[in-house]
Amino acid sequence: MSTPTTEETFTHPALFYRSEAEYTDRTVAFVREGLAAGEPVAVAVPGPNLELVREGLGADGRDVTFLDMTEAGRNPGRIIPGVLRAFADAHPRVRARIVGEPIWAGRSAAEYPACAQHEALINAAFAGRPATILCPYDETRLAANVLADALATHPTVIAGGSARASEAYDWRAVVARYNEPLACPPDAGVLAFGAGELPEARRFAVDRAASLGLAGRRLQDAELAVAELTTNSVIHGGGGGTLAVWAEAGQVVCEVRDGGRLTDPLAGRRPPEPGQIGGRGLLLVHYVADLVRVHTTDGGTAVRFCLGL
Amino acid sequence: MLDVGPLSGRPGIRASGEINVSTRLSWEKALTELSRQHTDVSYVELSGVRFVDVAGVAALAVTAMHLPVGRVVVERPPPQLPRVLDLFWPSLHRIEVAPR
Repeated sequence: MSTPTTEETFTHPALFYRSEAEYTDRTVAFVREGLAAGEPVAVAVPGPNLELVREGLGADGRDVTFLDMTEAGRNPGRIIPGVLRAFADAHPRVRARIVGEPIWAGRSAAEYPACAQHEALINAAFAGRPATILCPYDETRLAANVLADALATHPTVIAGGSARASEAYDWRAVVARYNEPLACPPDAGVLAFGAGELPEARRFAVDRAASLGLAGRRLQDAELAVAELTTNSVIHGGGGGTLAVWAEAGQVVCEVRDGGRLTDPLAGRRPPEPGQIGGRGLLLVHYVADLVRVHTTDGGTAVRFCLGL
Repeated sequence: MLDVGPLSGRPGIRASGEINVSTRLSWEKALTELSRQHTDVSYVELSGVRFVDVAGVAALAVTAMHLPVGRVVVERPPPQLPRVLDLFWPSLHRIEVAPR
């Protein structure tokens, strides 16, 4: 069920499109409508679609912020803080208008659950805020379950040129559905750590990640992200946990498990206040990683992040 | 472990070891002392620091943000420090980093 008051302030339609021409027509019209109303407009979509919108807008695109979602939103978990909130917060007191396309046909099976949860959590992150976020879905190339999920993560759907309320809208169910158990391969190196072993855990991760081929800034990012996750386990997850590192599908994966439960679905997805000292750990992980997956239950929490080799 | 104390001969602090959740209190205490003594330019000498976590960089950034005047020069920090500053405080002019 959608609540009218929320919809008046925050609008989050899915746009189902079937051709490049339809994509261009509808996104360009959406952008122009915002520009005409004096709204700040951003377009964050995959590169080829970005070009369609850019060409369609011509000179009118000069005041529009363009972002390639395959880079800015490589990790779906950083799109809310790093793209959507970053843009909306930079324009306080006015309605922000954004085209955000986080799901494209090349998204992997490991990425998709994080994509669906991201789409669901947009509704929580923007509840009560003046913003319009249009999410295009390629009806001809995306799987049926992806399109079905879009009906649950968007209160409104635009298909075949007409908008209707989505009767399937239920974003919480999507967050829960993709809170999936994460399997760790048997050959992964595993280390148990407690409060006194944070430096050892970090060194273990750096040694393993380096031997798997990670180097330079990506290796430094892995060290920083592992430090934040293991610190979270010490502070919030029962005083310690286990760390596992392995390589999979061209990526190094680091995973931290502990006995805590993540109760805040937006943890790690809120832009911090500049003067706040704590609470940036999970956000850091989202910012530096190519993908973050979380499984959390009363029995414990696993957070894994992937960095491409 | 973290060993932290005042610099000799110029305003500021030097530290060696690790800045993490176990050593946060002494790091924050030293930063409070730095801001109390601050006049124009304060130095934070970190060549002996192997690692600083996000909250450790945040404590430094927030200290610098609240200085009424002048700036903090961070000397030879570990690589996490410029990375975290760049991610969360990209335009914080009160901190100048002198690399390793």
